[in-house]
Amino acid sequence: MIKLDKVVKSYKIDEETTFYALKESSVEINEREFVSIIGPSGSGKSTLMHLIGLLDKPTSGEIIVQGRKISQLNDDQVSSLRNEFIGFVFQQFNLIPKLTVLENILLPSFYARKKLEYDPREKAMGLIKRFGLEGKEKSYPNKISGGQQQRVAILRALIMEPKMILADEPTGNLDSKTGGEIMEMLKELNEDEKITIAIVTHEADIAKYGKRAIHVKDGAVVK
Amino acid sequence: MSYFLFIVKSAFEDFRRSKMQTFLTSLGILIGVFAVVTLTAMGLGLKKYISDQFDSLGTNTLFVAPGKLLQGGGFGESSLLGNRFDLKDLNRLKRVRSIKSITPLSSKSGTAKGAKDSEFSTIFFSSEAFFDISGFEIDKGRFLDKRDIDKRAKVLVAGPKIAEKLFGTISEAIDKKVTIDNVSFTIIGVIKSKGGGGFGGPDYDSYFFGPYTTGFIFDPDKKFIRFAMKTDENINISSVKEEVKDAMLKRYKDDEFSIVEPTEILSVVNGIFGIMNIVLVAIASISLLVGGIGIMNIMYVTVSDKTKEVGIRRAIGARKNDILFQFIVEAVALSILGGALGLGLAYAGILLVQPFFPAYMDVTSVALALGVSSVIGIIFGVLPARKAANLEPVEAIRYE
Repeated sequence: MIKLDKVVKSYKIDEETTFYALKESSVEINEREFVSIIGPSGSGKSTLMHLIGLLDKPTSGEIIVQGRKISQLNDDQVSSLRNEFIGFVFQQFNLIPKLTVLENILLPSFYARKKLEYDPREKAMGLIKRFGLEGKEKSYPNKISGGQQQRVAILRALIMEPKMILADEPTGNLDSKTGGEIMEMLKELNEDEKITIAIVTHEADIAKYGKRAIHVKDGAVVK
Repeated sequence: MSYFLFIVKSAFEDFRRSKMQTFLTSLGILIGVFAVVTLTAMGLGLKKYISDQFDSLGTNTLFVAPGKLLQGGGFGESSLLGNRFDLKDLNRLKRVRSIKSITPLSSKSGTAKGAKDSEFSTIFFSSEAFFDISGFEIDKGRFLDKRDIDKRAKVLVAGPKIAEKLFGTISEAIDKKVTIDNVSFTIIGVIKSKGGGGFGGPDYDSYFFGPYTTGFIFDPDKKFIRFAMKTDENINISSVKEEVKDAMLKRYKDDEFSIVEPTEILSVVNGIFGIMNIVLVAIASISLLVGGIGIMNIMYVTVSDKTKEVGIRRAIGARKNDILFQFIVEAVALSILGGALGLGLAYAGILLVQPFFPAYMDVTSVALALGVSSVIGIIFGVLPARKAANLEPVEAIRYE
């Protein structure tokens, strides 16, 4: 479904020195998989996640999403791909503080270029009900708990019915009980909705949810 | 909810969260729009006031004045001094057939003493035709008539303001004596108010009107400052002008007199106000420019503050143009907010001065104020918005 082929990410520090954030790596994530990307901080797993999430471009190598080479797409096409294909969940939740819960969930649908086959508002209300956020639709993010904020972030990731959810340390800012609930929610989405899940983590407990692990160490994928 | 409404709403949510900053930022535009709208309203009002004065004269009116009155789009140098006309000219012009009625005009200023009070005033000496030509209506008593002229009667028709000042009420003034420069006159009538006065046009309400023959008491040379005439409505005014010119050329050189239609004076007045307006708008534009720079400055700050937000929006699928649009809308909203407040303030100000000054606000200035503020928002918003749109998603989302 998404394939990173001999991808390198490097930054030129000066004329002679080049810093390799990610050395040549190849990774493939298949449909309906639940993958953990594990590695200590500074290992290059964030860089890998940004590349998989199409937020960053590789210095060399190719990213292929459903048979399409990303290097051949323009910025607008890549934006649309992020919009429709991937749902992001971040460690710091990354909700927009001035928007209500409902508006945050709906936000990706405002950027949709394709015509949606469903009413996003109805869908959002359905998701809010299903994941226990009823009554919070009009609340602002700073008025709800961390666990609730992360659930809102997951619903925002779901509104466009993506093929894949990419979660970067989704439990990093939560206590273990709430973190467990969030992981159960992701597991449910993978099993019931057949959504591909890729989580980036440094915690072995969290990584266990994945059916396959990709290990990143010293700026390279080590399997 | 459409995307557009959504971003307008979230822009105003930002403003609500930082009211003081929003107000201070839009203050520049507020002051600029207030200045432009108020100044043009005053200019427009003045222009309308003067136009109305001339409009009441009708289209078939002509003036003959000494010197070159209108030259190269302005008032000529000798328009206020120069030659003065006499009875010979009057009789000659009376023989021009297409002139329906004619009056010579002269004036005398001095302190007028009435029963209650005294006031510095001016008497216009004219024939009975003047009332028709100027479009006066009588309120109490009567106008001058031909017998008053023939008898050199010491009678005056008063403007309502001066009559009230000197005698308490308009009715009180009728048949009373008024003394100007030791000459005693009887007031035979009071005209209806022509309104206004003080700016540009003559304040007829504060004048007296007497027979031109009586005016010779103050002027042994028996001279007039100008003639006013009404032509037959069915006759082309330019052909009448030619006839009047021929009559005048028998005695005067071409540059010693002018034949003027009120519409010509009006176009000169319009020209002067046009230039005045441009100058006013140019001055006020400076404050709009400063306001625009203020908006640009705060928009750069906003882009820095919202780097993370831009990163989030880009991550979930916003395109560069979506971000560009969002920040431009915010700048325009800020600018229009200032413009609308300035407009409101200007409207209040205009209502406040209207009793004393003929200020007048039209739809054009409202549209212009809002249009100009939107344009300023776009112009000064586009650079910060481009900065936001060109942020790298990965760097923006890492930004803390």
